[in-house]
Amino acid sequence: MLKNSLPGVVRIDDKGKSMNRAICLAFLFVTSVLLSACGIRSDMQDQPRYKAYKKSDFFSDGRSSRDFVAGTVPRGQLKENKAFYTGKIDNPDVNAQPVTTTDASGNTLVTSFPNAIDEFPVPVTKELIDRGQDRYNIYCIVCHGPVGNGDGMIVRRGFSKPPTYHDERLRNAPVGHFFDVISNGWGKMNSYAYVVQPADRWAIVAYIRALQVSQNPDEVLKANSKAEPGSVPPKSGETTHGGKP
Amino acid sequence: MAQFFNKSANNIARISILAGVVLVATAGFSFTQLARSSYLTGRYMEKQQPVQFSHKHHVGDDGIDCRYCHSTVETTASAGMPPTQTCMNCHSQIWADSPYLEPVKASFRENKPILWERVHDLPEYTYFNHSIHVAKGVGCSTCHGQIDDMPAVYQENTLQMEWCLACHRAPEEFIRPKSEIYNMKWKNSDLDSKERLELKASLKIRSKEMMTSCSTCHR
Repeated sequence: MLKNSLPGVVRIDDKGKSMNRAICLAFLFVTSVLLSACGIRSDMQDQPRYKAYKKSDFFSDGRSSRDFVAGTVPRGQLKENKAFYTGKIDNPDVNAQPVTTTDASGNTLVTSFPNAIDEFPVPVTKELIDRGQDRYNIYCIVCHGPVGNGDGMIVRRGFSKPPTYHDERLRNAPVGHFFDVISNGWGKMNSYAYVVQPADRWAIVAYIRALQVSQNPDEVLKANSKAEPGSVPPKSGETTHGGKP
Repeated sequence: MAQFFNKSANNIARISILAGVVLVATAGFSFTQLARSSYLTGRYMEKQQPVQFSHKHHVGDDGIDCRYCHSTVETTASAGMPPTQTCMNCHSQIWADSPYLEPVKASFRENKPILWERVHDLPEYTYFNHSIHVAKGVGCSTCHGQIDDMPAVYQENTLQMEWCLACHRAPEEFIRPKSEIYNMKWKNSDLDSKERLELKASLKIRSKEMMTSCSTCHR
């Protein structure tokens, strides 16, 4: 009787073994799930190399992006074309100081423009003006406003009001002056050279000319009857609307 | 000898088999859910930044273009973080005395970068480039959500591979005209399906095979 029941005993042992194995497997599975969920290893996610703006423990200022060594000239960027890169004539008179006045809101206004070139160093095309409109609406519109009246959102928030583009003085200012202001700043305006490349600066200047025509077509066209290179026909859709809140 | 097991052992055995299956299935399902949870993906989690900068105010209220600060988004892999000078373009006058701006002014004075906390952190085995996405009709809000409504920026999407692939398999469902890339108010319903296919063709978006090839993103 006892002997006959032995196979049953063996079966019970087998069952116990497989139960143990199942428990072991379940334990391993759950552990591996938990481990992988915790992301214990992240060597692949965070590799020992620098991506843009990654912090560096090596350099004392903590920046992994390094400045060029002083005096470095990238290939093809010798900037020999002075008119294109500075907006100034070839041999500027360093002693010539611009004549300035101060307006009611404390802006320093320049009334003479020594050394500034008055011809675009790039061909003025519709593509250039479109590009200028695109860039103007990013970087300039915040203060100068959609049409250049100087009523941009930041001015409405309390920043000094810049002069309008649409007065006699700036209508007659040479293109090199606008380029110079974008490149080096003027008054309360910081330099935008760090975000607007020279080619885009000329595009913006071309667009400012287009804005000037759009606001005072008669005066500009009369003054430019001798076909100034900076003058461009008014663009449709660019009128005074949209400037005021 | 008495029976080792009583009769109920039969039911216990059956139920325990069932319970085992349910347990494994639940564990598997929990894993997939856990892996997609914001606990692991960081989705919807706002981060404390060194400056209490509000995109809702600067984008939503002031209408400043994304590129005023993220100026390299059209030309490089990184969208670009603004140098402190960008802040000072306006804050040299506006809110200049606010204590909230002290970290910015300190950064400007001492010429030290502001240490922003990264919100969107892709694993480094993926190659991601902002410029190609904005050039091919993927708008900012498609991936980043309504930034103009976020006082503190959070990650809108999981940034997981299945999320990337959803668009790489069918880009026509997500793209918009290039003039609307930076428009935060753009809605996907602004184009119908026919216009989407035309747009996909005009943007010269590559084939699904090319877009979902491993080496497109892992190189």
